[in-house]
Amino acid sequence: MRIRFTLCLAVLLAAPFPLFAAVQDETDIDIQVREIAKTLRCTVCQTENIWESGAPLAQQMRGVIRERLALGHSTEEIRAYFLSRYGDYILMEPPKHGVNWLIWVAPFLLLLIGGFFLYKEVTHWVRETPTPPSQPLPPLDDQARKRIERELES
Amino acid sequence: MTKGWQLTLALILLGLFTLFYQGLWGDPRHIPTVLIGTDAPNFEGPDVETGQTISLAQFKGKVILLNFWASWCYECKVEHESILQLHQLFKDNPDFVMLGVNYQDKLSDAQQYLQQYGTTFPHVRDIKGQLAIDYGVYGVPETFVIDQQGKIRHKWVGPITGMVYTNLTQKVIAPLLNSQPTTTTS
Repeated sequence: MRIRFTLCLAVLLAAPFPLFAAVQDETDIDIQVREIAKTLRCTVCQTENIWESGAPLAQQMRGVIRERLALGHSTEEIRAYFLSRYGDYILMEPPKHGVNWLIWVAPFLLLLIGGFFLYKEVTHWVRETPTPPSQPLPPLDDQARKRIERELES
Repeated sequence: MTKGWQLTLALILLGLFTLFYQGLWGDPRHIPTVLIGTDAPNFEGPDVETGQTISLAQFKGKVILLNFWASWCYECKVEHESILQLHQLFKDNPDFVMLGVNYQDKLSDAQQYLQQYGTTFPHVRDIKGQLAIDYGVYGVPETFVIDQQGKIRHKWVGPITGMVYTNLTQKVIAPLLNSQPTTTTS
């Protein structure tokens, strides 16, 4: 039992090391490829970036990023290259200019408009709900008073 | 809620519905190209059949039709007859050149495809996919027309058949060959 426990413990403790080694093996260019690829859309997958996509085109695009980094191109130059070939569509985050502002602002604008209408409706309901007239409570009779006193004492 | 606010809300909802409806029926393959009017990227690559190097620069000053295709692509088979017909139509014009670009394919598959379906013009292999990325290609078939000045004048995503064929031959290539430049896109 003790041997089995020690073995399990050893496996569990050793498990993270290969992963750690893999991370350590990642070169600066690998990190840069990943960072750039994450910002570019896979044009044949529509909802994935080219880092996460397994599509051949995405693999080739990652290859192009790596080659250009090796040639000394900067991140911005590489992004500009893809932008010049595919337009704004290639970017996972639409750039904040022109009609693109609508994409960034519209959700908050709709939330504000919705909140405003909700506020107006709620205040309208509150105003219209009739409040019951306050009536004085009837005085306690002797029997009830004695019962309460008994229950408090017990 | 006042009538004014109700009308505003209805208009907003109508606008959202219109956008949704438009998106629902739009062609998801249609991504507007930014390449029209820009310089066609130069390339060099081996000929699919002979292995000899083909370069875009060697056809400088001519109207060039570039057709990206692959042996695994169904729509490429659909357009193949029309593509051959198009070449037949303009091949005698010394100012016209047609090049196929074989994309994401095995050489043996591409060669077998050309043997099976036939070809009358050269095809370049895009081995690493660099050529396709330079031309902003995201699927096959895609067709580009480059003018005598080396500018991309037209791009079409999808098969060249029917009205697309008529439009391409009569409204794009013929005017360019007659030196009547037009700027069109898919």
